[in-house]
Amino acid sequence: MHFSPLPYLDPGSGSFIIQIAIAALLGLGVAIRVSWSSIKKYFGYKPKEEEEDSDNDKI
Amino acid sequence: MTKSEKISASFRDPSGFLFSRNGVLYRQVNRAYSSDYARLMDSGLYAKLTKLGLLIPHAESDQAPAESESAFKVIQPERAPFISYPYEWSFSQLKDAALATLSIQKHAMKFEMSLKDASAYNIQFVHGKATLIDTLSFEIYKESEPWIAYKQFCQHFLAPLALMSVRDVRLSQLLRVYIDGIPLDLASKLLPAKTKFNFGLLTHIHIHASAQKRYSDKAVAPRKGGMSKQALTGLIESLESTIKKLTWKPAGTEWGDYYENTNYVDSAFEHKKQLVKELAAEKKPNLVWDLGGNTGVFSREAASSGAFTVSFDIDPAAVEQNYRTVKTKKEQNILPLVLDLTNPSPALGWDNTERDSFGARGPADMALALAVIHHLAISNNVPLTQLADFFAARCKWLVIEFVPKSDSQVKKLLASREDIFPNYTRAGFESAFTERFNIRKSESVRDSERILYLMERK
Repeated sequence: MHFSPLPYLDPGSGSFIIQIAIAALLGLGVAIRVSWSSIKKYFGYKPKEEEEDSDNDKI
Repeated sequence: MTKSEKISASFRDPSGFLFSRNGVLYRQVNRAYSSDYARLMDSGLYAKLTKLGLLIPHAESDQAPAESESAFKVIQPERAPFISYPYEWSFSQLKDAALATLSIQKHAMKFEMSLKDASAYNIQFVHGKATLIDTLSFEIYKESEPWIAYKQFCQHFLAPLALMSVRDVRLSQLLRVYIDGIPLDLASKLLPAKTKFNFGLLTHIHIHASAQKRYSDKAVAPRKGGMSKQALTGLIESLESTIKKLTWKPAGTEWGDYYENTNYVDSAFEHKKQLVKELAAEKKPNLVWDLGGNTGVFSREAASSGAFTVSFDIDPAAVEQNYRTVKTKKEQNILPLVLDLTNPSPALGWDNTERDSFGARGPADMALALAVIHHLAISNNVPLTQLADFFAARCKWLVIEFVPKSDSQVKKLLASREDIFPNYTRAGFESAFTERFNIRKSESVRDSERILYLMERK
């Protein structure tokens, strides 16, 4: 049987609406970056290594 | 039957709760959370996050659940050595907690999960790093769903960091008043107008606050809205870059350069360090509280015995410097915290039981009270007998330094006021403290008029 957890935080109406609007804009930036890197890749540029795993180590 | 006690701060989330049994801390995972728990454990997300030190590790336990009707599993998480709260953190501690939360969200998204809350109280400093201690904070990511924790993240992390960075570092204390984070309309009012030219602060605080006001009485169908995963990634990255750009440099505060401005001669300072080191090595405490720890010089001497040492100071600049040292040296057993000893953290939240007071998180095995007694007894007028009561409630072993009136630091405190402290003498101090403690050792600090005592609580 599948149980779905109940959302217990109130996300807030205004926070929800504005988040969707801001994120649509910011998502566009991500889309451009992703397609730009695939164009570069197509032309043989090596993608930069992701900096993950080190986020918590910097001052 | 074994007695189990539900932890009073653990009531909001129906996914499960914490309970303690025979002094051991467990977390009950409820059936309602079983699919999400399975995804966390089986997808590789748990392994990834615990390897990075971003999530507290746990073991599944065969203990009976505390509430069996709703139970799915019982887990035993590794215990954080000392629970601290965001209003006790320095700027970089709160910043690291914020970045850890966002980093966890980014990892979770790669495993088709998402954080369902972003409370600063879910982060603790474990092995010197900001670590999520709530194993049940994850949910299976549902396509096109906005981030349910966005508002909470902005209130708990972004608003206080922006206020501390741009307005005044002391505004972190607003977190003590607002237990669910700083209301965004308040943050928006308190931030200088120039922050409207910062894209991140403009959108996530100012516009966010006005949207909250505009839609405050309108209902939005819960968890609906077309937000692509790419848009969610953009949102998280924007929060991350906004927070990374917020900085604060400790300077110009009360004690920032205290050690350069004292009458300490190097030999006295070194002698005191050596004495603290020896006393800690001799008594082998597990938990040390350095009360008035400044940048943590003496905390480190105590910690060299292997003790977990919490280094409290009133000055956010000193605590910031101390934390930066912890990070640079990768120290795992020192926790710097901001605390005003004359008005320490109270019990807060629902029924005053959600966040423990400073005193309730003790007692420590050993407390250090170095160069602090004159501030409490003279600047804050606390009678010596009450000081003895205070320390006796907080530690078994007390390493305390008596600073006499002839010391230049005390002269400074008395320069602008009448000396109404006839009992503030070595004899008066000893007589007040021997009501509560046995003096085990006393030694004059070399090349000074100060005396260092080792006392044991009666």
